[in-house]
Amino acid sequence: MTAKGKAGRAIGWRKILVGLLLLPALVAGGCATTPKQEESEPAGEGQTVTLTAMVVGKPTERYRLENLKAAAERLNKKLAQEGQTVRVRVEGKLEDRPWEEYKQKFILAAEAHKAPDIVLSGHEDVAPWSDAGHILPLDEYVKDSPVYRDVFPNLWKSVTYKGKIWAIPQDVEARPLYYWKPLLRQAGWTEADVNALPEKIRNGDFVLDDMLRTAKALQDKGAVEPGMGFWTRPQPGPDFYLFYLAYGGELQDPATGKLVLDKQALLNEYRFFARAAQQDKVMRPTLIGTDWTIWHRTVMGQKVGFFHGGSWQVAEWKDKYGLTEDKMADLGYALIPSGIKGKPGVTLSHPLVYMVTAQSKHPDLAARLLLEATAPDLNTRHAVASGHLAIMKAQLDDPEYKKSGFLHAISYMVEHAKFLPLHSKFGTYDQIVYRGLTAVVAGQMTPEEAVDTVASQLKAQLGDEVVVR
Amino acid sequence: MSGRPLFRGGRLSAFFLLPFLLVVAVFFVVPVVLTLLVSLTNMSVATGLSGYDWVGLENYRRIVQDPVIGRILYNTVLFVGLTLALFNVGLALVLALATSFLSERWGNAFRALWLLPRITPSVVYVLMWRYFAAEPPYGILNQVLQGLGLPAASNWLHEAPWPMIIAINGFVGASMGMIIFSAAIRAIPRHLILAAQLDGATAWALIRHIVLPHLRWPVLFVVAYQTLSLLASYEYILLTTNGGPGYYTTEVWALYAFHTALSNYFGNAQFGQGAALASVLVVMGIAASFLYLRLFPFRKLTDRPKIEVS
Repeated sequence: MTAKGKAGRAIGWRKILVGLLLLPALVAGGCATTPKQEESEPAGEGQTVTLTAMVVGKPTERYRLENLKAAAERLNKKLAQEGQTVRVRVEGKLEDRPWEEYKQKFILAAEAHKAPDIVLSGHEDVAPWSDAGHILPLDEYVKDSPVYRDVFPNLWKSVTYKGKIWAIPQDVEARPLYYWKPLLRQAGWTEADVNALPEKIRNGDFVLDDMLRTAKALQDKGAVEPGMGFWTRPQPGPDFYLFYLAYGGELQDPATGKLVLDKQALLNEYRFFARAAQQDKVMRPTLIGTDWTIWHRTVMGQKVGFFHGGSWQVAEWKDKYGLTEDKMADLGYALIPSGIKGKPGVTLSHPLVYMVTAQSKHPDLAARLLLEATAPDLNTRHAVASGHLAIMKAQLDDPEYKKSGFLHAISYMVEHAKFLPLHSKFGTYDQIVYRGLTAVVAGQMTPEEAVDTVASQLKAQLGDEVVVR
Repeated sequence: MSGRPLFRGGRLSAFFLLPFLLVVAVFFVVPVVLTLLVSLTNMSVATGLSGYDWVGLENYRRIVQDPVIGRILYNTVLFVGLTLALFNVGLALVLALATSFLSERWGNAFRALWLLPRITPSVVYVLMWRYFAAEPPYGILNQVLQGLGLPAASNWLHEAPWPMIIAINGFVGASMGMIIFSAAIRAIPRHLILAAQLDGATAWALIRHIVLPHLRWPVLFVVAYQTLSLLASYEYILLTTNGGPGYYTTEVWALYAFHTALSNYFGNAQFGQGAALASVLVVMGIAASFLYLRLFPFRKLTDRPKIEVS
């Protein structure tokens, strides 16, 4: 064999090897096709269409799925009246898992072309998911339905992005400040003082500083142990923005749609937390990161003076943490106090919404199903079972809804509710602002340092998508 | 042996190498290439897998300008270094030596015990630690402390995040080194040990002059291998402190990449930015491997023996 021949053969082998090495890359590259909206199929004569739904919730929130099933029956009746032979059935599972996991599951399913017809999620997902082409605009179905007129207008605002409606509100909540009345009495409050508190917060007579002072007094008088005067939520979530909003902070510029960081409001928020956790020591510096179960048991054990959470947690506490009707009389609730004297208190609503995915083969039936699910009786049974508020005006007169004293009593909070911004980079914004807060609470940074760090990190990560004031 | 060899040139070696090369290509080279490609885009949940734009080195510029990246790097070095020194090599060595001086039956029993953390599903394993560390009156550790009349702290994962995380990872990591070192100790020729014992060597002298010199190569291997696996490891941190408590206190590079690329509360994960972080991690791993190859005399250690003893 000549040397040349040998070399030639070696090159041949090498080529084959390189080709084999590159093969998977080519295959992977070839698979990256563009997801498009599925062709919607006309529903055939006399067939039953199965609509799949992906729904998240705790056992108390089972009606998020059950209402869809009830809506299918109503829709089928209507289809029969219209003389159509097609029928609908709903298939799905109530997923009781953390938000991050749930959303990840939907995104992976959507990218793999295995998305359900209907997905329930927070209203803030309208921005990234519509940008990604995962969901469909619903204006043509919604605009001329009676549902559109009956649902509170600010809820439609929370699902309107780039001028279109992308989702149908499923529930809404308030996030109150809770307190134990007997503890306040132990600290020397009169009955009249205790009863006047929600109104004083609503008028701006009782602000965040007053709350810290009261929490400190509760500890000094021995009503609660040190570090138990005021507790926030123990895990990341929208609630921390309550304090930023309470100091007059803005999250989004209504004119440009850009995210906003108001440095002064953030500094005030961080200073408030530094006082709570580091100076007055009414909140444990290690509170953030506590297990939810331990948090629930502690606040329900009447060991904490003031704490804030969601209105839905009352249902959870009754379900799992021994909150009886008698104890309910001892539990006070109000708006989150403003940070500024004379300004009304605030709350935050995070509406959950149903969306129709771009991969649904029957988007018209899915949208009609969602409109059927948005009915006063169905939304009320969900609200009562899960501790959420009315989303439609008709519910306010519903005797069932009125009977639930707690929901009825906090209905006024929706007027004071603010929403999270609809912006596809809000997740990144939130991670940065949240980490800054945890640094202040743990005493690793002064509020001033944290604000500067957060501002520079936001600039580095979001560039011109955020306006730092 | 005379006569012509059956196969010539590189053909046979290529043939035998092919399965291995294919596996490496499919499971290592291709993912790395794809990660590098994704890191040059602005891919995120909002762009989907198709609506992205090529942004060049923008994601890398952001990493360099990120004010927290120094802290993340420091955490990564601290985590890998201490876990490696104290547990994956240190404790592994202690366990291997201790169990080797026991009878076979007891030694195996103890080694099996130390394998438990590795075979327990990580979520279950971490849940046990969380209940061990929880605040009073729930946590086991605090119950014991209170029982002994000692001051109990709140949650130990918050009080001492790094020691806890290093221990949680280390208890899993120690078993691999333990097995390798035990096997190496067993491979030491018996006559050396017997001779030393005849000369009246103490246990400590035995370990220092006979066992440890024989373990040089396995130790180097474990250090190199475990460095790479610890660099990429984040699941136990994710399940315990999730990078907290406080400001990126225990956020290591791999976890930062995971949070950026795949998980945040409001669900718009940045695939491109996360891929850039992961690419840097790959470079770090390759750099560490080269460093070990330069520092350790691998070639000398893997030389053919001068004579074959059968």
